[in-house]
Order: sequence, then structure tokens, then C-alpha cells
Amino acid sequence: MITVGDRQIPNIIYREVDVPNIREFDVYVKNGGYEGLKKALGMTRAAVIQEVKESNLRGRGGAGFPAGVKWSFIPQDNPVNYVTVNADESETGTFKDRQIMENNPHQLIEGALICAYAVKAKAVYIYLRGEFWDVAHALDKHIADARKAGVLGKNSALKDADGNPFTVEVYTHLGAGAYICGEESALLNSLEGKLGQPRVRPPFPAQKGGGLYSEPTVVNNVETLANVPWIISNGAAEYKKIGVGGSSGTKVFCMSGHVKKPGNYELPFGITFRELLYDYAGGPLDGREFKAILPSGGSGPIIRVTDELLDTPLTYEDLQKHNSILGSASVIVMDDTTDIVWVASKVIKFFKHESCGKCTPCREGTYWLDKVLDRILRGEGKPSDVDLIANVANNMKPTTLCALGEFAANPVIWTIKNFPEEFKAWVEGDKKAAALQAGKSAHHSAPKVAALPAAGD
Amino acid sequence: MNTLQQKYAERITVTLDKYPDKRSAVMPMLYIAQEEYGHITPEGIAQVAEICDMDPTQVKSIAGFYTMYSEKPKGKYWLQVCVDLPCALRGADEFHHWLLDELGIEEGGTTADGVFTAEHVMCLAACDKAPMLQCNFHFEENLDKDKMRAKLKAWRDEALAAKNGKK
Amino acid sequence: MAKTVTITIDDKQYEVPAGTNLVDVAKFHANNDIPVFCYHPKMAPVGMCRMCLVEQGAIEKDRASGEVVLDEAGQPKVRWMPKLQTACTQMVADGMVIRTQSEQVKAARENVVEFLLTSHPLDCPICDKGGECPLQNLTMEHGKGGTRMAYEDKQHLDKHVPLGEADSALIFLDEERCIQCARCVRFQDEIVGDDVLAFHERGRRLQIITNSEPHGFDTYFSGNTTDICPVGALTTADFRFGARPWELTEIPSIDPFDAAGSNISLSTRLDRDFGGRAMIKRVMPRQNEEVNEIWISDKVRFGHHFTRSDDRLMTPMARSGGSLSATSWADALSAAASKIKAAGGSVAAIAGSGMSNEDLYALKQLVSAAGGKHLGAWPITHTGADLLAQVGLGKGSNLGTLGKGDAVLVIASDLEEEVPMWRLRLKRAHDRGAYVVVANARKTRMDDFADVVVRYDAGKAAHWLADLKAQNAQVAEKLAGANNLVVVTGSEGLTLDGHRALMQAAANLLIETQHVGKANNGLLSTLPGANGMGLHYLGFSPEQTRDIAKAAPKVLIVAQAELLADDPNAEAWLSKVETVISLSLFPDAVATKYAAVALPIQSFAERDGTFTNGERRVQRFYTAQGPLGEALPAWQALGRLAEAAGLGKAKLSASSVMLEISQTIPAFEGMTYKAISAVTKQFPDVGGNDLYYGGTAYQNRGGLGLVIPTSADKGGAVATGKVSLTDAPKPGSGEFVVIPSTRLYNKESVFKPSVLVHPRIMAPYAEINSADAKKLGIEQGAVVEITAGGATVRVKAHVNGGAPEGSIVLPRHLTDQAVPVAITTGKVSKV
Ligand SMILES: Cc1cc2nc3c(=O)[nH]c(=O)nc-3n(C[C@H](O)[C@H](O)[C@H](O)COP(=O)(O)O)c2cc1C
Ligand code: SF4
Ligand code: FES
Repeated sequence: MITVGDRQIPNIIYREVDVPNIREFDVYVKNGGYEGLKKALGMTRAAVIQEVKESNLRGRGGAGFPAGVKWSFIPQDNPVNYVTVNADESETGTFKDRQIMENNPHQLIEGALICAYAVKAKAVYIYLRGEFWDVAHALDKHIADARKAGVLGKNSALKDADGNPFTVEVYTHLGAGAYICGEESALLNSLEGKLGQPRVRPPFPAQKGGGLYSEPTVVNNVETLANVPWIISNGAAEYKKIGVGGSSGTKVFCMSGHVKKPGNYELPFGITFRELLYDYAGGPLDGREFKAILPSGGSGPIIRVTDELLDTPLTYEDLQKHNSILGSASVIVMDDTTDIVWVASKVIKFFKHESCGKCTPCREGTYWLDKVLDRILRGEGKPSDVDLIANVANNMKPTTLCALGEFAANPVIWTIKNFPEEFKAWVEGDKKAAALQAGKSAHHSAPKVAALPAAGD
Repeated sequence: MNTLQQKYAERITVTLDKYPDKRSAVMPMLYIAQEEYGHITPEGIAQVAEICDMDPTQVKSIAGFYTMYSEKPKGKYWLQVCVDLPCALRGADEFHHWLLDELGIEEGGTTADGVFTAEHVMCLAACDKAPMLQCNFHFEENLDKDKMRAKLKAWRDEALAAKNGKK
Repeated sequence: MAKTVTITIDDKQYEVPAGTNLVDVAKFHANNDIPVFCYHPKMAPVGMCRMCLVEQGAIEKDRASGEVVLDEAGQPKVRWMPKLQTACTQMVADGMVIRTQSEQVKAARENVVEFLLTSHPLDCPICDKGGECPLQNLTMEHGKGGTRMAYEDKQHLDKHVPLGEADSALIFLDEERCIQCARCVRFQDEIVGDDVLAFHERGRRLQIITNSEPHGFDTYFSGNTTDICPVGALTTADFRFGARPWELTEIPSIDPFDAAGSNISLSTRLDRDFGGRAMIKRVMPRQNEEVNEIWISDKVRFGHHFTRSDDRLMTPMARSGGSLSATSWADALSAAASKIKAAGGSVAAIAGSGMSNEDLYALKQLVSAAGGKHLGAWPITHTGADLLAQVGLGKGSNLGTLGKGDAVLVIASDLEEEVPMWRLRLKRAHDRGAYVVVANARKTRMDDFADVVVRYDAGKAAHWLADLKAQNAQVAEKLAGANNLVVVTGSEGLTLDGHRALMQAAANLLIETQHVGKANNGLLSTLPGANGMGLHYLGFSPEQTRDIAKAAPKVLIVAQAELLADDPNAEAWLSKVETVISLSLFPDAVATKYAAVALPIQSFAERDGTFTNGERRVQRFYTAQGPLGEALPAWQALGRLAEAAGLGKAKLSASSVMLEISQTIPAFEGMTYKAISAVTKQFPDVGGNDLYYGGTAYQNRGGLGLVIPTSADKGGAVATGKVSLTDAPKPGSGEFVVIPSTRLYNKESVFKPSVLVHPRIMAPYAEINSADAKKLGIEQGAVVEITAGGATVRVKAHVNGGAPEGSIVLPRHLTDQAVPVAITTGKVSKV
């Protein structure tokens, strides 16, 4: 149970909190597992999709697209459709899907199967980032358990509403170190054994020609699908009672950076930043103050921590008002010891490393931004360099092929916009002078960050 | 039948069975090739190409795109320290440089005894457990210098034992 | 009529064909150049470079009524998309509205150019592409003028990287110059079907690599990538640092090597290395959508060196006292003329398919004026050109438009080796959905692009085809039911009579299923050389060659036919000819051993002329290179010979020969040089100054050629004929069936001087079935001796399943001695 003030809300996603060992098939089944699937199989496909639509379940992978609407795009008369589960989880600061797969894997499998039924898919591919090597192998075992128990695969004991055997297969597929493979069309390319570069759209994955092996395909995030069994079992109306407005249900918040208790917190939409940061994540480290937040990992705009911000409810809608996004809710918290220009440089390095190279502005822009930020951090920057990078980033935004290029522009655009004084210090102020004096340090140019005690096991 | 097909027959069959198109198996096959030869070698590429019915150029291309395949030889333990923003906020950069110093190598280098290769990587989805690293694809989390020293020693002993055992 | 849609580009409306790409349409119909780098009109769009961004909207329509919604000013209301869109990835749609000149669009173009230049070196002065570089041109047009990227921040990468082994690479890569457009990668994958190029690494480190066996970037079309590369990243080993593009003069010409008749452009320059005469510096494609589109094979691109080879025959020679020595044209001609006059009508000729229509006409005139009867065609591998004249590929055909609903049968041919351009185009037809059947006794490359692969016993192609319904009912039905059907025959594994039977069976199939006399329907054959159909129309045939061989004439004129190098059996009958008069490019064995008079003639590059390609298209080539030695065009040499013999009057120009042909040979009616040289605008519109679009393939200024209609095209009755099946040769005990095959790269005299390609010419080999090899104890790579059809050769054994059991596949023109021309039997032994 999640305690929010005096409310008690069930853990929809992290059920291991309430039910130890729910990762095991028997335990899962004993606690209502696969009932959602069975119920769905008794409904028409259209009814399942309708239920998910009504629940307002929005994609948890970042873009927040309504899941039911996405499913309804799949042509039901196409002979072969696919479901792919996006378990690439590579956004800086995101680590929630891993916990679902490790601790509550059957719920993901069940959700994916319900989706597969609803869109008449032949198979489910779970695309995990390569680094989830151990996670994938454990997941393989859980899939095998479910297969043995007859809930999936060609020998499944289940039948759908028309009395046909329900024989969807579930497979895992490991990536091998590429953030871009979280982008859905790059993911599909990677799964087809091609370079993980995004495809031109249209056609979209849900359309013929655009999905896996050119067949219509649903791509959903792990957390998105893990919500589905609960929605089918308890109904959309119940689900909507959790959360607020257009943001229904719970959301996992990945808390990292300068907080006392980093970790994943499953909470209903609508709690405030203040509650999240202080009540759950334990507040700032001793003697420090919060300074800035990246609410959506490295890719979203950075925001300054103010009282007004702290009182903002965490919903898709409210964050937009702060010129930011909720995205996948990977909340990276920075306190007053953090140098924001260094943050911009760190994040650009990530995107430069992860740019697939397919489109010009992203490939060249990330390289260029990184070069100039390095120069600034060596103390060799000029005031005009700040305008330069702002301009380069702004030129990237409208011209890139996929959203990675836009993500990459954000850290520069928003650090400059929201923390102009920090850049000033580097290009004409005290930091510039200090850096020049220090010269090029042997290993790296980033300012030292005070060593921290590791979070408890 | 090439070496991989002989030695990993079962795994290869199971993997190929997952997909309607052999090409989809290229990534799993590259992992097998890397396992067999320590890194992605020309012979590994040629065999994967044969298994997946692809041109070797395309296989090399895939190996080059994804960072978990290494086309260069690596130490027995391949340490990849996450120094991305969330980890860095919790001291990962320092930890990383300490580790390089401890091993006496440069970024991406391999120790003289061939036991360790160390380098930094981007976010590994373990941000709440920094500092952390990935050793041969297994996560080691919530590290500090003492813990790390102990691990290095254990791995080095293991490597030496394996080497001696072979002799 | 194709469906059309109405679109608005920069406030003007255009009605354009539906289902076409916006960039192509803007250029062709609105004369609006949307700049592109990655988009290429021949390949699927990928939207990578982002140069083609435009503002895009759609005219709003009321959902219920379907009526156009009007704004306050009464104009149709446009719903604009929030972000710029890549024009290259858009298909035109009704009501589409585009802006290509707005500030937003201009800024985007400027920004993309700036991004591209952040990594690009500034080495234009030493770059082969300088002067015809899309990046250079588009930078001038759309760039900012200055760079804001600090020079020291630029990434430095390897230059002159061979794409393959250092000593044999045909294409070199300059990594710094590459702008990652993937055109080269996509060309190899989509157009050629050999995905031997790819990107390595990612992000800013993305680089082109090859890792293929055995030579890396090794395909028959690799050179085309250098044309479509929008920068100087890819260059050919042949042309690198050869000349600056602006010094070159482009001369239209025709691929002299095969029946496709690809249109080429010879880039020439007055060159010190060639005595200040015009010299070919490189060979480029010239657009002809119905023939070769904008591609050419590497054979013609790199195979021009024979035209300037020091080994060419430079002066007329005459034999006295057994040895051949140089003489004057006047003496040589009078010596030859006296022999002809004394022959009493026992004069015949054998001509090769390198002879132009004009040459052949002059030869025919000479022989008939001298009272001779036989006009032999060379080589004697293929026949049935008469059937091609009746039911050949219909007028107005374009293999580039075959697709869904159409069918193609390729039989008894290794098409990739025989006519690579047809292989390329049929692969694309397959991609577009054409049903492709490939039938042969053995595996060939074309199998990769087939829906159905058929194997028959060696020598039994016609048996299979004549009995198709019983042999394979499904294939028979599919071919019969196709909207359009093209049959391509080769003669692999067949005797001359066997090939006639196959041609007749193919003709019958086409006639019976009513696939004749229409565009995109009919018969093709892989006739060797550039003018196989010209030989036919001017009266030459291989059957007459056989007649000549049976009864030696007193005087035999051998014109551009290397009888002895080609055929181990030729010497037996050639030696019986009293007087051989030879006209050749090289002092080949016919000239050196048997000719009484040997006359040097000019290659296609040194003179004007026409070839008639396998699709019966008569096409013109122009004088490009300065003359070599005293060589003359063959038509001229023959005209003068006739004059010397008192048998006619020499013509003064190739065009006047053609004029006479057009007036006297019905097939060539109306085919004056003027008519053949006519050009109309082609789609896509490439080769103008907008090199960024199609690449450096040249616009066609030399003529699209004219197609000789078939009898079927003219509505004449075409009847099926009897198929005279011939038995396949039966090997005796311990013997094998020997199947001669064709390799594109070989040691024929017209290819050998192009040393650049030598590493790609296979060492002499024969394919032997692994079961047979096992029985004989022959290992892979072992040297074996093959005795067959009058030849004994030593070659390496390739034991890899290419040859059917009981047979040996023996490629021609790899060994120094001639190997059999047609299927035969023979023995193999270990050496
Ligand atoms: C560069 C990039 C990286 C992404 N990475 C992920 C990821 O790691 N996991 C994920 O679920 N979605 C990721 N997405 C979003 C996916 O493209 C897609 O929107 C999502 O998988 C859809 O699932 P959902 O609707 O359930 O969220 C990424 C998008 C982009 C542009
Ligand atoms: S080499 Fe040329 S064609 Fe190939 S990707 Fe680079 S720029 Fe494009
Ligand atoms: S993105 Fe359209 S031409 Fe490159």
C-alpha cells in the first residue's frame, strides 16, 4: 500500500511491496495473477481496447500517448501483428522498468498478453537494453514458467472469446548498448538485426509497412503494460479514481541525485514536488539546499527549485505550465553544490555519445555543443560562446529526424534560459579565471563534487 | 558447420527460432561470438554472417554500432563505470578516476596482466545505487573504495587461479 | 491515364501525377529545386540529411461535407504542420500546400549546410569532386558564407582509405569528406542487391566500411557510388587526381561490351600523356531511362584502357614470305583487293559484334559486290536473332517499369556475367513485385532475385521450356497469366542448335500466351558484344559462319572476330582458307598467323558510329579520343578496299553510310543520325547543373536512340514454330559434360589492357561437383587438366557445388588458350 497523507492506495506496479515474492508464478497466480488476462479473453477485443482507452492510461515511456488509442490504430484484419515491449530504459536517471521486471515480471507478461490479444498480435518481443543481461535471463525463466503453466505459447490452455486457442508467444531480445534503441522505430530496426537508427514516419509502427518486419506493431513501455492487468481486473473507473484529471493511475518516480533516499517511488499522479522530494526521497543532504531539477531525465528541460515549483502537482498538465515535461518521471535532483554548466556538459556528452548519426543536425550539433562546452569549462570560453551554443541548439530543434536531437538541445537551451548567471561566471566571471589558473587538469575538467556516502543497500 | 554452430548449437537454435527472419538473431549471435573469442574478431564476424545469412560487412556494422560489443581485445574483467549525471552527482567521476589510478591504466586501457579493462559508460539504469559499474555485463552497485578493492582482489585471484589451473 | 492530384507550391497550383515524390515533382513540374543530399530519385527516401525541409500544410476540408473551408478572405484555409517536414519523404497528395522559399525554410537550409560543414574539410582545391560537388554548390547557394565552428574543433579522419584490399581497391574513401548520406550504402543494397557497404560506429564517428569477401567493395556496379556521392568522399582508383572536372569535354558514347548498350559519356581532355590529343580520362553514365537509367557497370567504367593500348595494331600489315610486316594503306589495300578480284566470287566474311552498323554495312556491300554469299556472325554461341526481330521485346518497353503483375523468365543465362545491366534492372523489377523465374542447369547469381529457381539437366533448357506445362504447371500458369512477360535467354549449356530450339520454345511461349507486340513483353537474348542485333539486321548469322567453316572460301575477311582466341576448333578450318584479310584492333592470332593483309581499325572511342542493342535500339556513339596509329574506322577501310577492288565507292562519313542504310535496309527506315540523336526530357530529370539531385550521371545530349520495331510490333502475323530439340551431349564412361560459361571480367583483348581490374579477373578455374571431386580425389584448389572439345587446359578446381553432378563448368576467356564455345564432353584429370 502507498500512503499519501491519510490516503491508502494500492501498489499497482510494485506489488512486491505488499506481496513478497510475487515474482514467482505461483505466488502471482495466488494473488489474482493472470485473472486480468482471463477476463480480457472473455471480452471482445474492441471492449478491451475501450476499457484501456477509458482508463486514460498514458504511455509511461516518455511521450505520454494514450495506450488505448495507440492500440486502436492496429488494423485487426491484418494477418500478422506484433507487440513489442520497450524495456530499453536508457534515459539518464531512469531505472524503474528494471525493478518491475525483476520483482513483478508476470504482471508485465500479463499486460503484454492482454495487449497482444486486443490487437490480434502473433507474438510479443520484449526489447531489453543489453546491460539488462541478468534481468533478461531471469525474465526468460519467468516466461518459461508461464509457458509451462499454459498461459502463453503454442500449447497454451487459454481460449479467446471466439473459442480459438490463445497462442501468443513471448520472447526477450537483448540490445547491446544504444540509448537510441529506446526510440520506438530504432528499437524495431534493432530487433530486425539492423542498425538502431530511427525510421522515417509515416508509416508509423502501428501501420502496415511501419512496424516490426513491416507489420503493424504496438510499442509500449514496460510500466505502461504493467498497469493493464489491474485496469482490466478492476475496471477503468476504479483506475481513474487514482490520480487526477487526465493523469490517472500511479506513476513510478525515479529519484536520483542529491536526495537522502534515492530510489523508485510509486505514487499517484497529483502529489506535489514537495511531497516527493521531502516526504519520500528524504529531502536534501545535510546542510544543502535544492537548486535544480531535471524532472524527465536528461532529455527534459531543467527547472529551478522554487517554492512555487515545490507546490506544483506532478501531472502531465501541470509540468507543462513550468515549461517542462513529466516524461518518464526520472527526477534528477541537484543541490546548491552543483555547477549547472557542468550539468549541461554532462548531459550533452550523453547525447553526443548516443546520437545514432543518421541525421545531420543531431550528429553534428551534439558534437559541436560538446566541443564548445568543453572549451567553456576549460575557462577558454567567450561570452559569445553562450549565444553560439544557444543558437546551435535552437537550430537543431526544428530540424532533427527524431526526438533525440530535440532532447539534446534541451539541456543547453534550458540551462542558459533558467541559469544564465552560471554561464556568465564561466565566460567572464570568477569561474573562468579559476579554471584558467588551474589549467587543464589531467583527467577531466569537471569541478569536483563532494564525495557522498553510498545509498544504503 | 562453423565453430560457433558446433559449440553453441542449442543456444543458436533456440535463438533462431524466436524470429521469422535470421537477421534478427545477429545481436544474440554477436554476444556468442564475443563470448567465444573474448572480443569481436574477424572469424567471429564471418561465422555470425554465415549463421544469420548476412554479408560480413553488415555484421561488422552492427558490431560497431552497439557499445557492448568490443572489436578490441579486453581484459578478463571488463569494468564499465557509470559516470552519467545522476551517478556523477553521487561521486562517480571521482570513483572512476580512483579506479583507473588503482589499476594503473588510462581510460579504456587494460592492465598489464590482462585481467582488467576499465572505462566509463553512460547511464546504466542504476542511478539510485551509485557509484556502480558493470563487470562483464553484471551490475555491481553501491560501491565504495573498500568494497571495490576487495572485489578487484577477488577477481584478480580468480583470474590467476584460472590461469594456473590451465597450466 | 495516371491519376493526378492538385498541389500548391509557393502559391502556385500544379496538377501532378499521384504517388510521386514531392522533390521529384517540384523539380519536374514546377521547376523548383528543393535541395537534397541524401535523397536520390532512384532510391527510397530516408530523410537523413534534413536539407529538403519545407513548410507543409493541407487545404482544410469540412469533415462532413468534404467542402474546402475558406478563410475570411475567401481563400482556402490551410492547416500548417507545426514543424518543417522533409520534402523527400512526402508523396504528393491532393490539397497539399508547400512553401519552399519562406524565411523559416531558408534558415533551415542554411543551418543544415552549416552543420554539414562543421565536420567537412576545406580541401576543395585538391578534391576530385571540386567543380562538380553538390556540397560545394549548395553551400554557395544556401550557406551562411562563414563558419562559426572553430577549426581546431574539427575532427580529423583518415583520407585515401581503400574500400577493400589496398592493392586492388577500385574505390577509395576519404572519411573526412563523407557527409553520412548513406547513398552509397543504399545503392549497394537497394539497387545492386550486394550489401557490401555499411556504416560503422555511430554519431559523429559514423564511417563507411566494407568487410566483404574477397575484395571488400567488390561488385560490378561499384563505380556508380562515386557518381551519387554528393561530396568527394568516394573516388575511383581510375580517375583519382586524373583531371579537374572543368577541364573535361563530355562525348556521348555507348558501352561497347554487351547487349544492354548502356549510354555512357566519355570525359576527355587534351592530354600530354597522349601526345596532346583528346584522351579518355573517365567513363561516366549518361541517362537513358529505357536502357541503363543512370547506371553503368564497372566493366565499361574501368575498361576503356584498351582504346589506347600500346598493343593495338597501329599500321596496316602485309605478309610476304611468311612474315607480316608494316606497309602503307595503299599497298595493303591493293594487295587485298587483288586477292578479292582473283577469288572469282569465293569471298566471305566473318564479323564480330564490336563492328558498328556502318562497318557491317560496308562489309556486306563489299562481299556481295565481290560475288560472295556468306556473312558469318561471331561468336557462334547465340542464335535466333531472327526470332528477336519477330517477337523481341516490344517497342516502347522499359524494364525499369516492370513490377507487380508482370513476370520475367531468365533461362540458360548467367545474367550477372553476361549482361549485368539487365540483371540490375530485373532485380529492381523483382523488388517492385514482378514474378521472376530463373532456370538454369546450375546456380547463378540471378537465383538471389528469383521467386522460383528451376534446375534442368545440362543441355535440356529447351526441353524444359517446350514442355513447361507438364514440367511446372504453376510456373506455366503464372507466366501465361502475367500482365507483361519478358523472357531472357542465354545459351549457357547449349549448342548452337540447342539455343535455336530454346529461342523457338521461348518465342512460342510468348506467342501462345499473347505476350508479343506490346511494350514490356517479348524476347531478349544475351547476344555477346554491343552489336549482336546489328549483325542480324545486316545479314550476318552464326549459321553462315558454320557454312563458311564447312567449305572454306578463297578469301575470308575476318573483321573484329578473334576466331582463334575464342574457339579451339577454328584453326582447323581457318587454316584451309587461301587468303585471310583481317581487320582488327589487336594483332590477334588470326592476323599474325593467317592474315595476308591485316588492317588496323579504330575502336568505338575514336570514331562515329551506331550499335543496335539487344532491345533493337539503334544508338549513336561519337568520336571522343584522338586516333591511334594509322587505324581507320572499319567502314572506311572496307569502303576503300571496295574502291581499290573496283567494287564500289568509299563513303566519306559514318553519317552518309547510315543514310544509305536507312534508305536500303527496311529495318533501319528513317534512322538517320539526326533522328537517332533526338532527345526528350526524361523523368527523373537528372544530370543538369543540379548535381546534388541525381549525381554526376550526365544528361543525355547525344540521343536516346530509336528502336527497330519487331514484326509483332508492326502488327504482322507471328506464328509459332517447330522446336527442333537436340540431344544434350552424352559423356562416355569416365567423361564429363563440359559447360562453358561467361565471366564478365576476363582476358579478352578488349579488357586485358585495363590493368586496374586485373586483380578481379579470376585465375583460370573450373567448377566441379563435390561428389565428382571426391570420386576423383580432387581437392579444392587443385590443378586439373581438362580435355574437351578440341582443347586441353589446366585450371584450378573449384569444388563448391556450383556444377551439377557429372559436369564441369569451364569459364571462357580466363585461360590463355581457347576453351570450348558450346556444351561438349570431355575428361578431367588431376595434375
Ligand atoms: C531518444 C528516445 C529514447 C527513448 N527511450 C525510451 C526508453 O528507453 N523506454 C521507453 O519506454 N520509451 C522510450 N522512448 C519513447 C518511445 O519512443 C515510445 O514513445 C514509447 O516506447 C512508447 O511507449 P509508451 O506509449 O508506453 O510510453 C524514447 C524515445 C526517444 C525519442
Ligand atoms: S561516402 Fe559519399 S555517398 Fe557514402 S555516405 Fe559518405 S557522403 Fe554519402
Ligand atoms: S532528408 Fe530529404 S534529402 Fe535528405
